[in-house]
Formats: sequence, structure tokens, C-alpha cells
Amino acid sequence: MTDPTENSRLDEDLALAGELALRVLSPEDEAAARARASAEPAFATHVEAWNERLGGLADRIVPVEPSAGVWTRVEVGLTVPAAANDNRIVFWRRWAIGSTGLLAASLTAVVMLAAQPAPAPDVATAPPPAVIRVATLTLESGVAAMTLAYDAGTGELYLAPTNEMAGDTRVPHLWLVMPEGDVQLVGAIDGSTTSHHSLGRALSGPAGAAKAVAVSMEAPGHTPAADRPDGPVVAQGTFQRL
Amino acid sequence: MSAILTRDELAQALGRAGEGDRAAFRRVYDATSAKLLGVTLRILADRQLAEDVLQDTYLTVWRKAGSFDASRASPITWLVTIARNRAIDRLRSGAAMRRSTPIDEAVTVIADEGPSPAESLETRDDVRRLNDCLGQLDDRTGGAIRTAFMDGMTYDALAARENVPLGTMKSWIRRGMMRLRMCLES
Repeated sequence: MTDPTENSRLDEDLALAGELALRVLSPEDEAAARARASAEPAFATHVEAWNERLGGLADRIVPVEPSAGVWTRVEVGLTVPAAANDNRIVFWRRWAIGSTGLLAASLTAVVMLAAQPAPAPDVATAPPPAVIRVATLTLESGVAAMTLAYDAGTGELYLAPTNEMAGDTRVPHLWLVMPEGDVQLVGAIDGSTTSHHSLGRALSGPAGAAKAVAVSMEAPGHTPAADRPDGPVVAQGTFQRL
Repeated sequence: MSAILTRDELAQALGRAGEGDRAAFRRVYDATSAKLLGVTLRILADRQLAEDVLQDTYLTVWRKAGSFDASRASPITWLVTIARNRAIDRLRSGAAMRRSTPIDEAVTVIADEGPSPAESLETRDDVRRLNDCLGQLDDRTGGAIRTAFMDGMTYDALAARENVPLGTMKSWIRRGMMRLRMCLES
């Protein structure tokens, strides 16, 4: 014989799971129900079952074709890890130490930028302390395509491409990937040699806040809209603080 | 234009996306992004916000596709659940202003919104059964459950909009949900 108290408790759990799936609870009640779903697999199974039962309600919702840019933004986000990837920092440091020639010179310049003594600072107008952000942009294959360093204090940007983009007739364009996932064009870059840029005020703020950078390949002579590449995104990398 | 995949094809593509297959992930996107934008747009009533949430949804799908279990969930329901929850989270974060449509009107509007059978990724029988069971509830309760699902409204918001006490709205929906469950499992 089944304990009526048990039945009543099961009904209560089923109802609460349904309310959580339907998202009708107040914020406080929802937080408590979510905590239960995290801690109790049986309760979480009830919630999943309700999601399955209710899912058909979406059948009557009219599909709406998204803008073409949404897929591009998704694609940019695919290789940007949710959390900082420490291996990338280790890789970058090893590469920086082991590199020679222009690449090493460029990276040394970045370090010098951080280390050089500033002229006698006027307290009222002193620039913020240099915050060097670096990123290794990799191709989908995992091969490094470019190292980038940005000084958020001065707006100085250094790019050091590898040979991976050399010989491509398309023009690489650099993009900032913002925390919300939207992208912002920095501009066309030289994919064959190291370069140095000074970002204006309009871009220095976003560059300091961006979580990642990406490179798209655009047709020669074509400038894409500032918020959406037209060519394929070929390389991406997460910003790390140096 | 959305590509049309059967439920099994979508489940397979989702499974491959979970293994890191980007081409399969693109197939999932092509087949479902219009439906999911419909879901997020319905809740947020702002195309820019709805597309932002759609982007976020697919990044979540990419990360979580490996945990999708075709033996336990329909692929489109699994995707709709993620999109809907993300849209509701955004709505309640205060980032979106909400338009207000009375429940009766919402029911009338959605009644005209049925996609053709070929466009549906859900098993038709499951949907028909759900609609049959909802139809057995009184209009007020069925309408409240539909509105809560489609517009992402809480008990508080539903009660205020229908001008009934909070306890009354809770009672309608709770009882309605339990009757719905019994009907679906009978």
C-alpha cells in the first residue's frame, strides 16, 4: 500500500518541476527550485520531462529567418573558449622567448613599451598604467596565424603574422570580439609582415574591453560593414593579460 | 530559407556537432535558426535583442551538444528549451521592454500561426496530442499556460494582466498542468 504522504510529496514535486520548466515562478522561488534541480537528479528528471511535454507549444510559433550576420557571429564565437585558456599563455610565452627576427623584435617592443620610464608625469594628466593584452590568433587547424599585442594605456597595437596568410590574394581584416559577442572592425591589416598601429579613441575603448580578436579575409578593394565581416573568418584568439 | 531535416537527421547532426563537427553544427543552425528566432522574438519583441540571444543560444548548443541524448529528448524541443530559457533570462535581466497582449488575444493570434506540416521538426502526433490535451482544459487555463510558455511570463505578471489574485492564477496553472500531464500519459 502506498503511503499517501509520499504520493502528496510526489505530486508537489511534479507541480514544482512543471512550474520551473514553464518559468512562472518568482525569482526567489525559481532560484530555490533550480538549486533543487542541481542537487536532486530525480527532481531534475521531472523538469526535463516537463520540458519535453511542453516543447510542442512552440510548434505554432512562426519561424523568422535570422540576418546573415548571426551565423558569422556564432562562427566567430566557436573557437573562443568560455574561460581563459592558460595553455595559450604558456604557448605565447615560449614562442616569444624562442622567436627571432621581426617577430621577436616586435614582441620585445611590446615589453619595452611596458617597461620604459615615462617622462615626469603630471599627476592630473598621467595616463593609466599600461595594460598589455596579447592574443595568439590560430587557424581552425590550430596553427598560429598571428600574434597581437595591445597596450590599453596608449592605444598602441602590434601585429606579428606568421607565414600562414602569406600569398593569399584576399585582404585580412582585424575584428574585435566584444563580451556580448558582437564584433567590431578594426581595419585592414598586412598579413605578410609585422605592423604597428595606433588606435584612435573610438577603437581604443572597445579594444580594451574586447574578449577576443578575429581575422576575416575580404575581397581586395572591399571594406565590410563595421559590425559584420563579409568574408570567411579564418583565425581567432582570446585576449590574455601579459 | 530553412533547410528541412527529419527529427532523426536533426538528432544525428546534433550528435555530430557534439563531437566537434562544424559542418553538422551548420546543418543544425540552418534547419532550426528560423524556428528558434521565432521563439526568442516572441518573448523579447525586439529583433536585435532576439538575434543576440539567438547567437548566444547556438554558442550554448555548440558547447552542450555532447550532452544531448536522443533517447530522452526530441532535438527540436531540446533546442527550443535552451533558446526560450535564454530569452526569458534576458527579458528578466531588464534588458528588454515588453509589449503586453491580453491572454485571449494571444490565443487568437497563435491560432492562426500554425506552420505547414512539412515545416515542423516535432513529431506531429506529439503536437496533436498536446493540443488535444490542452483543449480539454478550460480556455482560461489553457490560454494562461500557452501565454506563460510563449511569452515567458511569471505568475505575478499573468495575474496582474488578467486582473486576478496571484493565488488564483497559481491554482489555474498548477491544476491545469497536472491535468495536462495525466492526459498526456493516459
